[in-house]
Amino acid sequence: MKTFKLPGKRKLLLTSAVFAALFSQPLLAEVKLNGFASIRGTSVSTDGGLEPFPGFEEGELSFKPESLFAIQAQADLGEGLSATVQLFGEGRNDFDIEARWAYLSYQLNDSHRVSAGRFANPIFHQSEYEKVGYAHNFSRLPKAVYIDFEFSTIEGIALDSQFNLGDYSLATKVLYGGWSGEAFSAVTNTFVDFGMDNIFSANATLAGDWWQLFGGIFATEIDGTSIDNSTIFPLAAQGIAMAQNMGATGAQVNDFKSRIGWDGKDAFYWFSGFAIDYNNWLLDFEYVDYVVKDSTDAPNQSWYLALGRRFDNVVVTLHTEDYAQDTDHDFLNGVAHPVLLATGKGINNAFAQREFDGVGLSVRYDFHPSAAIKLDYFNGSDTRPAVGDYEILSFGVDLVF
Amino acid sequence: MKKTLCIAALLLSQLAFAEVAVIVHPSNNNALDEATVAKIFLGREKSFADGKSVVPVSLSETAAASTAFNDTVLKKSSSQLKAYWSKLVFTGKGTPPKEITSDEEMIKLVATNPSLIGYVDASKVDASVKVALKF
Repeated sequence: MKTFKLPGKRKLLLTSAVFAALFSQPLLAEVKLNGFASIRGTSVSTDGGLEPFPGFEEGELSFKPESLFAIQAQADLGEGLSATVQLFGEGRNDFDIEARWAYLSYQLNDSHRVSAGRFANPIFHQSEYEKVGYAHNFSRLPKAVYIDFEFSTIEGIALDSQFNLGDYSLATKVLYGGWSGEAFSAVTNTFVDFGMDNIFSANATLAGDWWQLFGGIFATEIDGTSIDNSTIFPLAAQGIAMAQNMGATGAQVNDFKSRIGWDGKDAFYWFSGFAIDYNNWLLDFEYVDYVVKDSTDAPNQSWYLALGRRFDNVVVTLHTEDYAQDTDHDFLNGVAHPVLLATGKGINNAFAQREFDGVGLSVRYDFHPSAAIKLDYFNGSDTRPAVGDYEILSFGVDLVF
Repeated sequence: MKKTLCIAALLLSQLAFAEVAVIVHPSNNNALDEATVAKIFLGREKSFADGKSVVPVSLSETAAASTAFNDTVLKKSSSQLKAYWSKLVFTGKGTPPKEITSDEEMIKLVATNPSLIGYVDASKVDASVKVALKF
């Protein structure tokens, strides 16, 4: 299970409300404008001819897949209340502008702030600012962990807290929300409708002067009627028909379908890792684990490790990553019919089929107070035969203002 | 050529040794050390030791005192600092201190507001503010 998109009336209403709060009281509100942009040329070559990630274009240099821009307006309405809208466009979506963030925040006291509206889903440690290239030293955050989940923007309510613990500081976030859109399925190589209800997430980062330890969880209930009907059940149709011909009862088939389907199932995501920035040596590690429980989804355990060295205004980073999926057939425990059992295992194996790993070298040069040039080379290997071994070469500029 | 190099070296040494003073309102009796000041300017500490709110104010990033303050107290280059604030600004978790363009304006502001903490070239300090820290 991977990525998503979303239109909808709910988003429009929310955005309109925040825009109204931003601009209806120009005499009272101080509006801050900030923004970020990346202009990046990317060239991808693969053994199998299929691009390794959606949006990339195999075989040619393109400025579309990884160029983007955003402008953010934050209105301080006084008494701790503020409204924020972030307009965002990226090349892979033809630079169509969307309101990526649209939320109201209220500072309860020095330690706690509550926000409501449309904002980032903190799926993993850097998910909230993964599009802000200037904020990190890679051309793109390692794909094994940051694989462009399209539920990266959700609607809900969140509480951000900051605590001082002597020499250390602790930042926490708890959030409740929901999401609906489209998900990319590597099994069918298409996008399908998808939803997440009752998203609950919590994460924490403990930081000292030169180190950070972090971890978090994200749980949700899958709204998967569409993916069941468009992907899971069609994949099982031939096996179910064969099983019925071989005596499988209606009850057995219904039980089997409820086991392989994703609708109503719980999904769990968690991450943990550390970041060190000591004497101009940088070391980052993040491990993530996620799955739609008790379904045909394959449990995913992925990680990246990056070692960097800062030389004045240049940072050189060597990184390696691994996107790994397991087959797990426990969801079929109790399925007696051998054909149904084989069909369920086959679908799970198909979901677990895609794995990739690789190593990369990134160079960042801060040539301007607000902009950095980045060069990046990545050499990876994908288990899908249509992809195989691949290389990604990119260069570009990340800036903030 | 030699002359240019000498002037450049002189300028650099002056920049490197220009003293910076962290200033607060004269009525502010809180003891401040470098670590606490760093936390305040990185948005991790929102109040003085006596519990009153603190609002940090920076000089513009091109000021010599800013470079010295960022290097010595915050232990970050201006690019690192900008990357740090980018993570907070674009996730709604914080905003960087407001920037003031001159030492004189900074002193004037801090002298009139007990919540503020700022820094200036130490040679510009006058009696209207209290020096909390000097380096």
